[in-house]
Amino acid sequence: MAPIVKVANLDKYFGRLHVLKKINLEVKPMEVVCIIGRSGSGKSTLLRCINFLEEPSAGTIEVDKLIVEAGGKGREHRQLVHDVRLKTGMVFQEFNLFPHMSVLENVTEGPVTVKKMDRSKANEIAEMNLDRVGMLFKKDEYPMRLSGGQKQRIAIARALAMEPKVMLFDEPTSALDPELIGEVLNVMKKVAQEGMTMLVVTHEMGFAREVADRVVVMAEGEIIEDNTPEEIFKSPKDPRTKALIDRYRSGGVE
Amino acid sequence: MNLFTKQEDSASKSQAELLYQAQRRKEQLFRTNVGLSWGVLLLILVFLFSGNSLTIANFTFNTIKLDQQFIKDNMFFIAGGLWETIKISILSIAFATGLALLAALGRLSNNPPIYALSTFYVSLIRGTPLYLQIFFFFLALPQLGIVLSGTLAGVVALGLNYGAYMSEIFRAGIASVGKGQREAALAIGMTPGQTMQRIVIPQAMRFAIPPMGNEFIAMTKDSALVSATGFVHELMWRSTKVGRAQFRNLEALIMAAIFYWIMTLILTYAQSWLESRLAKGDR
Repeated sequence: MAPIVKVANLDKYFGRLHVLKKINLEVKPMEVVCIIGRSGSGKSTLLRCINFLEEPSAGTIEVDKLIVEAGGKGREHRQLVHDVRLKTGMVFQEFNLFPHMSVLENVTEGPVTVKKMDRSKANEIAEMNLDRVGMLFKKDEYPMRLSGGQKQRIAIARALAMEPKVMLFDEPTSALDPELIGEVLNVMKKVAQEGMTMLVVTHEMGFAREVADRVVVMAEGEIIEDNTPEEIFKSPKDPRTKALIDRYRSGGVE
Repeated sequence: MNLFTKQEDSASKSQAELLYQAQRRKEQLFRTNVGLSWGVLLLILVFLFSGNSLTIANFTFNTIKLDQQFIKDNMFFIAGGLWETIKISILSIAFATGLALLAALGRLSNNPPIYALSTFYVSLIRGTPLYLQIFFFFLALPQLGIVLSGTLAGVVALGLNYGAYMSEIFRAGIASVGKGQREAALAIGMTPGQTMQRIVIPQAMRFAIPPMGNEFIAMTKDSALVSATGFVHELMWRSTKVGRAQFRNLEALIMAAIFYWIMTLILTYAQSWLESRLAKGDR
């Protein structure tokens, strides 16, 4: 099957710092790919380059047949980036719900403002997606009255309401209290089982092992290993992968 | 803010409860005493202008005697300026708010001419006196063939002046909205314009409303400067007119001062009410 996401020869510099070095990555439709690695390995930056929240320094990003070259300028480039963002949903570590809007408005904001959908249709879609993440009962609440886990589930619903082709998760459970991580991972698992293509930057090795089709290991701006979870967790090739997995196994958190 | 409201424990009062109550009593006592002292100060002030004399032992205090007839005769004339003062303040604050928002956005722009325009405007206005600006729009522009009425010149000058100062409030408000909010909006496909309009500005406004209240209060008082044009019949103009004509400036200015003070008290109260409302929605 042709890949739905294709990252080719991606380079990213922050000033003089070379954070992504000639990254090549392909994701097939309905595939769940977890990206693991130590902090500073470039995994979040890679994810953020895919929907251009970070402008790549060089290389090509392809999402569902839209091809965007790094370093583009002008109206045409901006339109392409916009279209790529419509095809990707993103979930952030810090949830980033809109505090001045109710839960329902958070989820309808995209469809109404971006897709110009009429309010009743948008409400219908929002309620369906809130139900999907088990948060419909809080639809009239404001974000500040919710727990981190609830906020993150709503953030997932907000992204899903735009009906993206690919979901990008940027350490979705890293800002959560340990007892709230499970509910978010369960929702993500459900979304994966429904056939969504997912790219997940995570420290949750259990999730990677259980849900991912592939695990990509990053270190120092490079992909050092890309394999099935079984292979990665049972017989890691690279000593850095082994060290990473051992650290999590022994309960150490960076 | 009362984050820790009292939990009624009907059984027995714990030590914490007793301490809490003692503290509450202390706070209430303080507030009561402040209120009473205010009353006393107000009474002293009223007495000082009552015209009565007070004899203690051999000393006789003569308080200031105001011309009651003048006050009665001119009360309504001066009060008639209230509406003009309020009108100028509201129009100016509306104009200033629009300008301040544009200036703040310009200040955050990556476009050099737009950024320069915004900082240039703020620098020019903040670098010159408001009094001069009012005269400029009223007296200097006619030389160029542009004749503004006194009210319009006042509103333009006050609006431009306060807009420059308030742009800083909006800039801080916009800066207070986290980067994550922008990213979340962009990620669902919103354009930068939509992100600003739907996500950033509403949150910045919530941040900006309390300081804007202060500006509005300050402006109602600065509107008195517009009287200098001689053609705007607001509080200050009316009080100086009758005061000078009958050499009763003391009475006239005291009356105007009372009106300004009452307006400020009402606005301050309204502002703290609004602020507490906003805080409630926030937490």
